[in-house]
Order: sequence, then C-alpha cells, then structure tokens
Amino acid sequence: MLNDVTFGQYYPANSFIHRLDPRIKLLFLIAYIVMLFVANSFYGLALCGLILFITIIAARVPFGSVMRSVKGIIFILVFTSLLNVFFQKGTNLLWQWGIIKIYTEGIIFSVFLTFRLFFLVMGSALLTLTTTPVNLTDGMESLLFPLKLIKVPVHVLALVMSIALRFIPTLMDETNRIIAAQKARGASFDTGNIFKRVKAIVPVLIPLILSAFRRADELGDAMDVRCYASSKKRTKYKKLRFAPRDIVAVVFAAVMIAGVILLNIYGYRICPQIYPYVVI
Amino acid sequence: MKKRKVKADNCIEKAEEVKPLPDVAVKLNCVSFSYSEEQPYAVKDVTLEVKRGEFIAVLGHNGSGKSTLARLICGLLTADKGSVEVWGYNPAVRSQLGAVREHAGVVFQNPDNQMVASIVEDDVAFGPENLGVPREEIGRRIDWALSAVGMEKYRHSTPTRLSGGQKQRIAVAGVLAIKPDVLILDESTAMLDPKGRREVTEVAARLNREEGMTVILITHFMDEALLADRAVVMNRGEIALQGAPKEIFGRGEELESYNLCLPEIGVICNKLRAAGIPVEEALEPAELARQIEAQAQTRGFKTPSSGYMSAPIEQNGAKEWDIDVQNLTYTYSAKSPFASKALNGVNLHISQGEFFGIIGHTGSGKSTLVQHLNALIKLPKAQKRYKKPRVKKGRTPPPESVIKIGGYNLADKKCDWQALRADVGMVFQYPEYQLFAERVFDDVAFGLKNFRKGLSKEEVEQAVRESITAVGLNYEEVYDKSPFDLSGGQKRRVAIAGVIVTKPRILVLDEPAAGLDPIGKREIMKLLHRLHGDWCKTVIIVSHDMDEIAENCTRACVVSNGEIFACGSPAELFSRAEELYALGLDVPVTAKICGELAKRGLPLNCDYTSQGFAAAVISALGGESNA
Repeated sequence: MLNDVTFGQYYPANSFIHRLDPRIKLLFLIAYIVMLFVANSFYGLALCGLILFITIIAARVPFGSVMRSVKGIIFILVFTSLLNVFFQKGTNLLWQWGIIKIYTEGIIFSVFLTFRLFFLVMGSALLTLTTTPVNLTDGMESLLFPLKLIKVPVHVLALVMSIALRFIPTLMDETNRIIAAQKARGASFDTGNIFKRVKAIVPVLIPLILSAFRRADELGDAMDVRCYASSKKRTKYKKLRFAPRDIVAVVFAAVMIAGVILLNIYGYRICPQIYPYVVI
Repeated sequence: MKKRKVKADNCIEKAEEVKPLPDVAVKLNCVSFSYSEEQPYAVKDVTLEVKRGEFIAVLGHNGSGKSTLARLICGLLTADKGSVEVWGYNPAVRSQLGAVREHAGVVFQNPDNQMVASIVEDDVAFGPENLGVPREEIGRRIDWALSAVGMEKYRHSTPTRLSGGQKQRIAVAGVLAIKPDVLILDESTAMLDPKGRREVTEVAARLNREEGMTVILITHFMDEALLADRAVVMNRGEIALQGAPKEIFGRGEELESYNLCLPEIGVICNKLRAAGIPVEEALEPAELARQIEAQAQTRGFKTPSSGYMSAPIEQNGAKEWDIDVQNLTYTYSAKSPFASKALNGVNLHISQGEFFGIIGHTGSGKSTLVQHLNALIKLPKAQKRYKKPRVKKGRTPPPESVIKIGGYNLADKKCDWQALRADVGMVFQYPEYQLFAERVFDDVAFGLKNFRKGLSKEEVEQAVRESITAVGLNYEEVYDKSPFDLSGGQKRRVAIAGVIVTKPRILVLDEPAAGLDPIGKREIMKLLHRLHGDWCKTVIIVSHDMDEIAENCTRACVVSNGEIFACGSPAELFSRAEELYALGLDVPVTAKICGELAKRGLPLNCDYTSQGFAAAVISALGGESNA
C-alpha cells in the first residue's frame, strides 16, 4: 500500500513476503545470516542463493532494486576479496611475484566470501524492501519483549522510535524547503572547498534545529494533554498476530536450515572428486 | 509506585460512581497569569463561565492572551492568581490534573506537531492507550472518533500525505478518542487554508450539536465565531466584549480597536448601510442575499444590461520581464515506483506588471510550478546529465518544456542561475522559519552578499537599510536585534526583506499571509502592493484564500492535477463558481452572494472585490453611491 510508505527503500507490493509478520521476517533474516556463516561449502552457499532467489520471486520485487542495495558495498566487497586473494595461505601455489603469493585456496575462499557478503546484503535489503519502517519497529519492539523482564522500558523505546519515524518525513520536507529557500537567496551548497561547504550548511542547520526544538516542545504539550505519563501502565491497541502463512514461512526456514546442515555433513558424498575445491 | 496507585483508583472511581453532571463545564474566577515577573499580565482578571453543552468562541488578535487561556484551562500553565475549575476538578492540584485532562481535550495550532504515530489509527489510539483502555474499546473509540471527524477512509493512511485540514481533523480525532466533555481548539485553524478551516470548525459545531460537547474555539478569524452560541473578545489579556456573535459583529469600529477584522461579509454590510440601504448584520451569504432580495422588492432591481467588463489588461506587446512557460511537465521520482506527475503540459504567460495569483489545493502542482520559475527545479534540458529521450519510430516526441523569463532561457545549461535568482525573488511559505543569522542585518544581507560579490560595506548597508525600510520596519530599531526576538509579523517582514534586498524584478511568494491574524494579513498585502510597481515589476502570489485573490490580483490561474485549469481575471474565474467547487476549491464570499442572488433571479455582475460588489448592489438597487 503506497499510503504506508514513509521513507527508506520500501517497495510497495502485495506479495506473500510483504504480508508476512515482521517478527517472522526478522527472525528469518537472522536464521539466514546464521546459515550463511554455517555453510562450509559451495553446496551450502548455493542453497542459500536458491533461498534468496525464491524469496525475491515470492516478494515480487524487481531484481534490479535488490541489486541496487549491493551497489553501496561494492567497494568493500572488491577490497576484501582482493585482500583474501593475496593473504590467504594454502598449499597449491599458483603464482608468485616477490613476496606476493597467490594460492588456489585463496581464490576459492575469496569467491566464497564475496558470495556470502553478497547474499547477506541482498537478504537484508529484501527485508527493508518488503517491510514498512512502522512494521519493522513494531516487530522489533515485540521481539525485544524479554528485555522488559530486566526492567528495560521497552515501550518507551518503542515510542521514541515511532516518534522518530513519524518525524523523519516531516523534517525531510522541512530540510528541503529550507535548502530551497536559501538557494533562492543565492546560497550554494556544492561549490568551494570543504570549509566553504561546511559554512554553507549553517543557514540550513540553524533553522532546522530551531524548528526541531519548537516541534518537540509542541509535541510534548500535545502528548501531555492526551494524558501521556511514562510511568503509567499503558495498553497497546495494535498487536501483531501470526497468520497461517507465517507457519509456512517457519517450516520453509526450518527445512532450509536442515538442508544447510545436511550439506555441511554429507556434502562430500555428492561428488568426492571435486569436493576439495568446493569445501572451505 | 504510590502515585500510580492513586491514579488507578481514580480511574475506577470515574467508571463506577455516577457523578451528577456539572452545569458549568469550565469556570475561571479572576484568573491572572504572567510568563515572567518583568512582563505584563498575559491574562488579567479573567472571569468566565462556560456552561455544559455551550459553544463559545474566544476571539482576539495575536498576543491578546487567548492561547494562554487555553493552557491555563488544561493545566499546562498554572494561574498566578484566581482559580480554574474544569468539570469540577482543579488543574492546579496535581492529583486532579489527570482528571482535568480526561475531561478537557485540547487541539493545538500545528497539526504536524501533535501526531506521534505514522499511521492514522495508531495516532488516534495514543490517548486511550495512555489511559489503559482495553483493546476492543480502543477499536470502538477509533471508529467513533474518525467518523465524528469524517476521516474513516483514512484510517490506515499516513498523516504526512494528507492536507492541512485533514491532518487537523485527525488531531481532533486523537483528542476525541479520550472521550472528553470539553473540546478546546487552541487556534487550531490558524495554519489552515479556508477550506481546512471550514472542515475543522464544522466538525466542532457538529460535535456540539449532536454529542452535546462543550466547545471552546479560540481563533482570530471572526467568521468562525458565527457558529458559536457566544463570542468572547479578548484584548490585552482582558475580556473586552462578550455576547452573541451577531451583536459583536455589529460593533465594527470597536472591534477594529481591538485589532480584529470584520469578515468580508461584515464589511459589505457596512458599505451597504453607509449607502442608505438598511441591511441587518448578516452572517451567511444566503442571509445577505435574502435581505437584498427584500430590498429589491420595495426598491426595484436594475438588472445589468450586459456582462461585467473587467478592466482590459494592458497587452501592448511583449515587455522586458514577461514570463513565458510552455509545455512544462515534471515528474517526481521518475523511474521509481513512487513516480508521480506533478505538472503536465503547463502553458502560462505572465506579463510584466501583473499582480498574478496562482490558485490550487495541496498537491495540485502549484509549488512545483513556482519552483521552476527561479530554477530551484531545473528543466530537464538544463540539467547536467541531460540525455535526449529516445523516441520510437513513427511517434512524435513529447514537446520540450520551455521557460523564458526576461532575457533568461531556463532550458539553457549555460544560463546564469545566480543572476536569475537575484532577478526572480522567491519567498517561501512561513519564511520566518528560514531566518538563521544572529542579527537582522546579517540575515537580510545574506542574499545580497551571495549574489553581488564585491560590494563595499557602505553599499551593502545602503541596500539593507532600503530593503528593511521598504518592508515597513524601522531600520535603526531592528537591524542589530536578533531576528528571533521579533514578533511573528515582524519576522515575516524581515524574511521578505532578505529576498527583496537584491531588488528582484519579479517577486514570487508562496502563501505570503499564511498563519497571520487578519490584521497581519492585511498589512502584508498592503506591503506587497507597495512593493509592486516600485521595487518589483511583477508580483506572483500562491494562495488558497480566494478573498485574497479577488481583492488583490489583476489576473490569476487555477492549477489542478498538474494542469492549468483556467486563467483569467478574478471576475472571469469566479464567475465559474460551480466548476471551482467541483475541483474542491472555494470562491470568495462575494461570489457566493452573487450565486445566491442569481438563484433568486437577481443577477449581478461585478469584479468580486467587496468594494466592487457593494457598488454593484448599490447601483442595482438605485441607492446613492457614495461608497
């Protein structure tokens, strides 16, 4: 639903994945990350890739928007894999130039690592693409429930998060308006050296901070008047509820975890000849 | 721990014990309050009783103490002297404060700053959640509160995408969900456009009528007081006048002395009376039309022979600073799932010397349009990464967007943007929120220093002095002050001074009078007329306020759904009232009265200013025209 979008990279659609309980999605992501790190061979990794592929299809999110999330970390990805190629020691020396030695194991490991990070980022992106920030906070609040037992004020934290989410679009609009207004008065934000640029931000920052304080002040009054007191026992109107589709997701996750573990243990039986090149 | 228990007990008490309803909902007895010891009393010796089920309007100019009154009632402030009682509880006593807030709900000015959640129903649920109301009951309350304000359809929407009036109605629903007995609207309409204002006040009136809710409406717009049983006028912290709205309206001059403005309809009544046509104080267009009809029966009614001739607009060829917009199309977040077309093939010509109005509701594309005028949004061809769009064979390419202003071609990459922005000044909505410098002088000089590098100190001072004087402020008095120490109206003037300091040829203002009280509005419009023709050749205002457009503009256009719906003189535009209603827009009150008269077979032609309307009525009724 387009209406629910506040900001971020949420991709509006009405798919199976979109409708899943946010808690399930969060837990599934955690499980997926664990799988990625537990998998000890390309077999396991391939299974992880397959899981990602299935989820993307089920989420009806264009492949391009998932790939776009990888763009941001492409530098880190290249850098770490190069480091691994050069520094991973092994037995099978391929190439040597001075102290730089490249082993077969190094190349295999760096390819493995690249895929692992790739899947990890894409999996996380899929969560934010299919879950609205509001749902995400609701899910997190619900999952943080155990902290209540050790007297962490979870509902206050949740309220803080919810208010922050609520005001991000408002303050973004405000920032854009102030920038436009100062531009109309001849301010330029993209020329000059670093000092000039920092100085150019002052006419934006000061009105923005003042406005944030003014808003906070008024919001405080409005909350007071609406009977808010942090010490009081509150009820919660919206409760997350599990639906049958959530069970489907849990079963799927369980099967996949089992699959990764089985591949870890019995993977060598698939094709013993190439196994040394597949395992890490 | 102990405190919590007391609160809980209170709750149960309220539910079980059926208290007799008090006759007096809110009682203020000789209440005085001052924000600090050096300052004069913001509220002084106010004694006021609001009966259960009463609807009262508290009127007053900015700084008259009317908002302080609301804060005293709901216990955000505590009176220095005197006593306050709400539904039998005293907000000054800590243990009763909770009860006061359960009985009296307040809606404030800025709807954006009253919402805690990103989804409407979650926000409405906030109050009852705080009171520990059970889940199912909260659901019922949300249903009730949203239907009471007519926003059921938006239950799952996010408030940021709604119009001001809709947001404010959500804020009202948020307060209603607490089930208060007294609803206080503390200038809740000040930031809204006329349509939003009407939406909110109608909700308040309906709650009063149907649910028997006690309503205290605090406002500086006199026409809102029409709905109330009783109006209270505040001046300098004291109650200056009270009585039925009609009585109060009859005392025009006295009201002026309290810095209040009669609504247009009251001004028209006064003008008719001055011309010897005995009309009573009318509050609604239909009422005035009925009175004019009664007069017409005794005096006769001269039906105007031909249609109204608006003064011909000078069209003697192109002038230096004409604005020419052709095929302007703009899409926000193109190539994303959120892509939305803000402008679709806009053609517009504004001649040098016009006082031009742009009308349209929230999201119609009018802001996008004006931001193109000084290249805050650049045309596609002027952007760095412009690629010629690929066109399939056999299809005509979409026409290119063109904007030409004076000698500037805005579709040209090499256009001198800084020079353009110095020549086309742009004042945004609530420009006072963009002030940042420590001194008024520096703030006003900011634009000048950016645009005209290498000016001597004296030249800068000269220009700043002229521009501060031009906006009607005393240079010596303000230049060294912090802009944040000025009053609201003064801040806005300083902000305008900061734009006109470069002596722009064209001045564009987005809602220049938004949020000001009527006197402030009038002053700002006077200021713009002074600037027009003197400092700036062309003035363009974006506005929702149709009376403002009718009274001030030579020509105006209506933007709807990213297209120009109509363009012409106010007289031409407002004669198409039905079509404007269909777009969700309003028409000036004069046009409404004309409509009512036409229904009664008394057609009238005028330019829809209150002056012109009164003159037309007087001449039709054969009265002496000394207006």
